[in-house]
Amino acid sequence: MKRKLRGRGVAASWYGIARTATIDRAGAWAELDDGGTAKIVTGVTEIGEGILTVLAQVAAEELGIRPEDVTIGDNDTARSPEAAHAGATRQTYMIGNSVALAAREARGKLFAEIADHWEVSAEQLRAFNGEIWVEDTNKRMTMGEAVARCKARGVVPVGAASFTAHGTGLDPVDGSGSPWQAYVFGTQVAEVEVDTVTGEVQVLGIWAAHDVGRVINPRGVEGQIEGGVAQGLGQALMEEWQTDKGHPVTHGFAKYILPTSLDIPEITSILVEDRDPKSPLGAKGIGEPALVPTAPAIMNAIYDAIGVRMKSLPATPEKVLAALAAKEGAAA
Amino acid sequence: MPDTLTHPTVTAVTLDLTINGRRQRVQADPGARLLDVLRDGLMLTGAKEGCGAGECGTCSVFVDGKLIKSCLMPAAKAQGAEVETVEGLARTGDLTAVQKAFHKTGASQCGYCIPGMVMAATATLRDNPDADIEEIKERMGGNICRCTGYSKIFEAVEIARDVIAGRLPHTALDPEAVGNSFIGHNTRRLDAPSKVTGRLRYAGDMVMPGMLHMQVLRSPHAHAKIVSIDTTEAEAYPGVHCVLTCDDVPGEDGFGVFVEDQPVMARDKVRHVGEAVAAVAADSVRTAREAMALIRVEYDELPGLFDPEDALKSGAPVIHDYAADNVVKHIPVRKGDIAAGFSAADVILEESFSTQQVEHAYLEPEAGLAYVDHDGVVTVVSPSQNITHHRHMLSHIIAKPINKVRFIMSPVGGGFGGKEDMIYQGMLALAAMKTRRPVKLVFTREESFVASAKRHPSRTRCRMGLTKAGRITAVEFEMLSDGGAYGMSSEGVMRKAAILSCGPYEIENLKVDTKVVYTNNTPSGAFRTFGGMQAQFATESMMDMAAERLGMDPFEIRRVNMMRAGSLTHTQQKLASAAIDRVLDAAEGASGWEKGAPSVRGESRGDLDGPGTRRPCTLGARVRETATDRFRP
Ligand code: FES
Ligand code: FES
Repeated sequence: MKRKLRGRGVAASWYGIARTATIDRAGAWAELDDGGTAKIVTGVTEIGEGILTVLAQVAAEELGIRPEDVTIGDNDTARSPEAAHAGATRQTYMIGNSVALAAREARGKLFAEIADHWEVSAEQLRAFNGEIWVEDTNKRMTMGEAVARCKARGVVPVGAASFTAHGTGLDPVDGSGSPWQAYVFGTQVAEVEVDTVTGEVQVLGIWAAHDVGRVINPRGVEGQIEGGVAQGLGQALMEEWQTDKGHPVTHGFAKYILPTSLDIPEITSILVEDRDPKSPLGAKGIGEPALVPTAPAIMNAIYDAIGVRMKSLPATPEKVLAALAAKEGAAA
Repeated sequence: MPDTLTHPTVTAVTLDLTINGRRQRVQADPGARLLDVLRDGLMLTGAKEGCGAGECGTCSVFVDGKLIKSCLMPAAKAQGAEVETVEGLARTGDLTAVQKAFHKTGASQCGYCIPGMVMAATATLRDNPDADIEEIKERMGGNICRCTGYSKIFEAVEIARDVIAGRLPHTALDPEAVGNSFIGHNTRRLDAPSKVTGRLRYAGDMVMPGMLHMQVLRSPHAHAKIVSIDTTEAEAYPGVHCVLTCDDVPGEDGFGVFVEDQPVMARDKVRHVGEAVAAVAADSVRTAREAMALIRVEYDELPGLFDPEDALKSGAPVIHDYAADNVVKHIPVRKGDIAAGFSAADVILEESFSTQQVEHAYLEPEAGLAYVDHDGVVTVVSPSQNITHHRHMLSHIIAKPINKVRFIMSPVGGGFGGKEDMIYQGMLALAAMKTRRPVKLVFTREESFVASAKRHPSRTRCRMGLTKAGRITAVEFEMLSDGGAYGMSSEGVMRKAAILSCGPYEIENLKVDTKVVYTNNTPSGAFRTFGGMQAQFATESMMDMAAERLGMDPFEIRRVNMMRAGSLTHTQQKLASAAIDRVLDAAEGASGWEKGAPSVRGESRGDLDGPGTRRPCTLGARVRETATDRFRP
C-alpha cells in the first residue's frame, strides 16, 4: 500500500431559513435623509456575516442611492425596532426583507412628491445610484435634490415595516408541521489525502454548491461558505471539547486545536439561485447551511481513500490509525 | 486581563517608547505586558487579547521591526523600543495596500482577528515581497481566524503583494464598478475599513468614566451543594465596591433560551465546572481578583452525571428538580409505516455514529459593560446575539418593566450561536444597580471555554431500508444528545435535528426520535446548524454506505431519493420547490466527478489532483510526524 492515499467523497444537505416551527418576524425603520443619504434603523448588528453591507445594498437599491450613503443604526432595544436574534440563518431573509419593505414605503412618499412636482405619475419615476429621473425625458435630479424638494413640500420621506415568516409548530405526537417557509439545499465534494503512517488527513479541495436564493452579495456568500467549510473541517478532523468527570481538559488554544491557514483546502463555491417566492427580495440564506455537508463529505472521501468508515467525529490521526489497524487485523 | 497600570499597591515603572513614530512615556506595573500598555495605557485597542497565551495572533504588533505577540512580551522588555501597531500602519484616513486588499476581497468578517492578520500579512510582505502562496500560508499560520476560512485573506495578501511589487496596477484595489443593480454586486463591506485599521471598538475595548471591573468566582465542582458562601472578607477588601451572589437577585431568577432553568449565579447548588457562583466589582481587575480569592464557599459534593446514557438510568442523580428523568426534551417525528417500509426493502443497513462537543472558539471572548442611566434605565452593552430576548429575561430577573431595561448589541467578534445565552449580562446589570457605577467584565480565554455552551455531542443509531434500485423505503433514526448542565438551546437543537434528520430525501416511512438530557458536563447550546450537521452526518454517511452496497454512484443514489417540488418533507410539509437537483448537478460538474460506486476506488480515480485542489502541506505533516514519533513506544 502506498503511504499517502487520496480519495473523494460527496454529501448533500438541506436546511430551513429563519426561526424554526414558529412565526418569525422582524421590523425596520427607514428615512431618506438630506443629501440623498438614508438612515436605516433595525435590531441588527454585524456578527461578521456581512449583514450591514447586505442591508445597505438592499436599502440603496430600493431608495435609489448608493450603499455607502446608508447609515445603519446600532442594535439597541431602547432605540430600534425589534428584529430579534442574530442567528438561525435569518438575517438576510428576515431583516433584509423588512428593510426592503420599509425603504419602499419611504421611497413611495418621496416619489409621490417628486411625481407631483414633475407632473408625471409615480410609476414613471426611476431612481438608482443617487439619481432620480423620468424615463424617456430629460427630467432628472440628484437624490439629494429630490429629498430637499420633498421636504420643501412638507414631507419627510420615512417608512416602517414588518416582515413575517410563517412557520408552524410541530405536532407533539407525529411531529407534523411546516417549520419554515423557505428551504435551502447544498452539496459538497471533498478531496482528501490520508497519510497511512501518521493517520493525518489533509483536505485538498472542497467544491461547495449551495442554493441561497437570490444572491445579494456574491463575495459575502462565498465568505460564509469558506468559513462554514473551515468550521466543518475542524469538527471533522481535529476539534473536540473534552472533559474528564466534568472537568475541562482542553481549556486553551494549545489543547483545543483549530484549523489554521495550513489546513484549509482550495474551496470552490458554486452559488445556485432558487429564488424565494414568498418574500420581496427572493433571497434566502447561507450562514449555517454552509457547514452541514462538510464533515460527511470528508468522511466519505476518507473511506474512498483508505477503506475505513469513520463513524465517530473527529477523525483524528489516532482514530484513523486505529481504524486502519482494525481493518488490517480483520483482513489478516 | 490584568490592568496593571494604575494599581495603587505596586510601584509603577516608567517606560519610554516610540509608538507609531511618536515618543510616549507611560507608567506601567512591573508585571504589565506590552499588550496592557498599548490597550489600557495608550488606548490603542487595535491589538486584541484573543487568548493571552501566544496562541492566536490577535495581539500582533511590530517591536523594532519584528512581528511579536504582545501578550507574551513583558512591557519592561519594550523599554526604549519602537513599537508599530495596526493603528500606525497607514496615515490617518488612508489605508495601506494590504488593508485595501483586505477591504476589496472581503477578507474581514467579524474582524476580531483582522488587525493581527493585517500585521502578519504586512510582516510577511516586508520580509519577502515575493512570498508565494505556500510561504504566505506558513508565515500566517500563527494567526487564527474562526470566521473566514482564510481563503479571502490569502487572496488579499496575494493581491497586495502584486500591487506593491508593481505586477498589478493600483486599480486592482479599487471597488468593482456597479452595473444596473446593487443586488448581486460585490459591494465592499462597509465595516471593513474600521476592522482593517483596528478602529472598531468591541465591548472589551470600551471604557466609561468611573468604570469598575468585575471578576467572577466559578465552580470548581461538577455537581455540588452549596452549603454556604461567606463574602465578608471580600466585601471589606479595599477597592471593592460590591460582591454579588444569587441573594442579590431582586426578581425572578432564571434564564435560558427555551427553559429558564439557569440562575444568574449558582443557587443552592452548582451543576458544572465553571458555573458562576459569585462576582466582585472593584476599582481594578487585580483588586477584584484578589478580593475574589477571599470569598469562602463551602461545597458538599454530589454524585455527578457525565454520560447521557447514564442520565436515563433509573436511580440516576437528578440534576434539576423539575426534570426528575433528566430529560430536557424529546422530539418525535412519524410518517407512514416503517414496518411496511422495512418489509418492502431489499437491503437494510444499521449503523451508529457519534459526534463530539465542539467549542465555538470565536476570537472575541465574552465581554460587557453595564450602567444605569440618568432615567434609571439598566443598560447592558455586550456582543449578545439575542438582545430582544435578553431584555425580557433581565426584566424579570431585576424586577423592572421592559422599558427600564436596555440592551445594546456591540460589534460581535464571532458568535456562531455561542453568544445567544445570557451567561454574564445578569451579573453586570446587578453590579451596576448595586454600585451605581459602570461595570465592565471581560472573560479570559479559559473562562470563555469553561463557561460558554458547546455544540451538542450526539450518538445516533440509524436503520435504513432500500430497494435494489436505491430507493429508500424506511428510516428509523434515534439521536441521544448530552445537553450538559443547563437547558440553553437544547430543545430547539433537538427539534431542528429531528426535522432535518433524514436529509433532503423524500422518505415515505420514517420514525425519528431525538432526545437531549441533563448531565454535569459543560452545557451544550446553539452552534451554527443547531443540530442539523450532527443528524445529517449520520444520514449522509449512510447514503454512501448504501450506495456501496448497491453498487451505485453516490450522486445517483441521492438523485433517486431527493426531494422535488411537491414532495412531502419528513414533517409532512409540501415543498413548493427543492433545488437539491441543481446543487447535486453543480457540485458534480464543478468537481469533475468521475462516476462510480463508493467502493474504495480512490487509488484508481481519474478525477484527482485537478483544478480546485491545493498542494498537500508538507510542513504540517513534518510537524505532526515528529509528534507522533515521539509518542511511539
Ligand atoms: S497570541 Fe496574544 S492574545 Fe492570543
Ligand atoms: S474575521 Fe477572523 S476571527 Fe472573525
